Amino acid sequence: MPAISTFFGLETTLRGLMAQQGALDVTSHNIANANTIGYSRQQAVFTSSDPLQVTDGARLSTLASMGTGVDIQSYSRVRDQFLDAQYRGQNMVLGQQSTTSDSLNQIEAALQEPSSSGLSAQLAKFWSAWSNVAQDATSNAGRQSLVDQANTVVETLHSLDSQLTDAANQASAEYTSLTQPGGDIDQSLQQIASLNKAIQTAVSSGDHPNDLMDKRDQLLDKLSELGQVSVTDLGDGSIQVNFGDAATPVVSGATVTWPQTLNNAGPPPTTSGGKLQALNDIFKTGGTVDSLRADLNGVASALATSVNAIHNTGGPTGVDFFSVGAAGTEAASISVNVNYATVVASSATGTGDIAAQIANLRGGTADANYSTFVTRIGSMAQDATRKESTAQALVNSVDSSRQSNSGVSMDEEMTNMVKFQRAYQASARAMSTMDELLDILINRTGKVGL
Amino acid sequence: MSTRITQSMVSRNVLSDLQDVSNRLSQTQEKLSSGREITKPSDNPFGTSKALSLSNSLEATQQYERTVSDATAWTNLTETTLGSVSDAAQRARELLVQAGNDTNGTTSRSAIADEIDQLIDSIKGDANVKYGGQYIFSGANTTQAPYVVGGSPANDAYQGDTNGVFRTIGPGVSVQVNTIGSSVLGSGVPGDGGLISVLRGISQHLRSGTTADADTLRTTDLSSLDSAMDNLTSARAVNGATSNRLSSASDRLSQIEQSTTSLLSDTQDADMAKTMIDFSMQQTVYQSALRAGANIVQASLLDFLS
Repeated sequence: MPAISTFFGLETTLRGLMAQQGALDVTSHNIANANTIGYSRQQAVFTSSDPLQVTDGARLSTLASMGTGVDIQSYSRVRDQFLDAQYRGQNMVLGQQSTTSDSLNQIEAALQEPSSSGLSAQLAKFWSAWSNVAQDATSNAGRQSLVDQANTVVETLHSLDSQLTDAANQASAEYTSLTQPGGDIDQSLQQIASLNKAIQTAVSSGDHPNDLMDKRDQLLDKLSELGQVSVTDLGDGSIQVNFGDAATPVVSGATVTWPQTLNNAGPPPTTSGGKLQALNDIFKTGGTVDSLRADLNGVASALATSVNAIHNTGGPTGVDFFSVGAAGTEAASISVNVNYATVVASSATGTGDIAAQIANLRGGTADANYSTFVTRIGSMAQDATRKESTAQALVNSVDSSRQSNSGVSMDEEMTNMVKFQRAYQASARAMSTMDELLDILINRTGKVGL
Repeated sequence: MSTRITQSMVSRNVLSDLQDVSNRLSQTQEKLSSGREITKPSDNPFGTSKALSLSNSLEATQQYERTVSDATAWTNLTETTLGSVSDAAQRARELLVQAGNDTNGTTSRSAIADEIDQLIDSIKGDANVKYGGQYIFSGANTTQAPYVVGGSPANDAYQGDTNGVFRTIGPGVSVQVNTIGSSVLGSGVPGDGGLISVLRGISQHLRSGTTADADTLRTTDLSSLDSAMDNLTSARAVNGATSNRLSSASDRLSQIEQSTTSLLSDTQDADMAKTMIDFSMQQTVYQSALRAGANIVQASLLDFLS
């Protein structure tokens, strides 16, 4: 009969105790991080330890393999990289839509429509002021109030134009602050690179740096809101990150290549996507703000042209009522060219016919252009809000799947805790049993006739 | 494999549902407090454009109504003034008939002539009436009094012009509201057949005392005065017609205003009953969601382990 160590059983139970304790440690780590953003639950992976080959002393052939207990093979992270890719894709859409919708809502609020203080109401009052002048063409009071109302219309146009410009400037400033060296993107990339380095070192020494990987994934999630992120595993634990349509990978191992030029142009997949794309679409030449300003210029230009055309026909010299600057700056440059004394209300003394004709412009091109402008902004804002809520729902759904996979379930942890605790207790009991056996062997055996 | 439900999923779902409900609640609340169905263009872009055009036509209608009321006041004042001129002309005719009687001596004819001169001044004074700072009988030259009151026959000349004063009372509809002084009372030039020059002629004929002039008083002057008074009557008739037209325009405009207001209200105002019901339903949903959330988030196996 081959020899097995007397203390063999003690070793086996000790392994059991240590493994269960390790699993309990993981459980408590999970519980502690139940509310940590970006944390993935971990598992202690048990495997039975290498068996003891029991041999026949004389012939050296294996008689049996004897179990030696349990080992913790690794601490694994429960994470599905395909869900991560889906999440980042949706998060990019959400970042783009929510930025667009925020910006349009801001522009929309500046319109103050429909209300009694918006440009539409101001124009209505302007036409009424002309009608009042038509009734009493020689009254200075009527003329003065016409000029005042015209100035209000002009100021409202100026203010709308500058609010649009502000929206573009804000978008541009935010874009710059995100992309500049030392900005949000740069910082995230630097952190990803240094995590890459740390993870690579840990992996090469056979470790599983689960928590560092969680941190890196969280940074990638954050980055995905700003633009399209694609990740390539480099095999040594570190990753390569491509961002937007940047030519070179922004992170490769421990190397960061940033800032880079983003074109933000063209349909996917050549676009940067995300918040950066949305911001760029707002402020770029020919972008949202530019096209809205062109519409507003159309309103100002229609107003000036239609009023001037009639105003010019009266009076000795033919004076413009409104003066406007170069094409493309009408809304910003429109001003009232006359004062109460030089307003032309009649072609002959006192008839007020010119004023009456101008009053008849109510509901004409200027009003129609403005109404189209407001409807356009309204539709754009409505569309962006709808897309934002769709994107939000999709992000929530993907995130739910992710949480379902990687999140910490208290019920599960509690069950595991009970399970490992019981296993620990049982291992301890097995050790006591071994102890009793040894007690009999050591203390009681061979004592004869005492 | 059945879905694994984790605590963070539950709390996230509860939170996002709560946010959703409270978002809707706040939108309904905004509708309630503003009384508006459309508080910003994106609530309903096409409704907004409809509301803008309706409120523009409402403002236009109200402006037309103000114009009509102003024009009505103008024609009413014209009518009152012409009535008073008419009374003065009637008195002059009575005096003329009385003076035509040869039993009246030179002295009494001269006294009658004095009274007729007074009547001329009173008629000119009436014609110089102003509405809102504008002389209503001066044509379009409303800053100029149509006649100079007092003094000699040389001051009888009409000072205004013959242009019409028009009021726009609807899209593309305008009416002349003024009555030209010279067409009713004459240009003040002897022989134009106008009331003032006829009366001035009568006064001269009364004073001259010749037989021929006395005959003229009975014949030509009387018929001239009658024709001037006919002219006055027809001017009053025209003015009355304008006044009627304004009054029917006013009725029509107030109907349009009413229907536009109700259309606008349908478009942009919140249906309070419906919004209130929505609000209380959403409130109930919100409260149940809160209660359910509180219960779901609390429970775990932890509560049952000793």
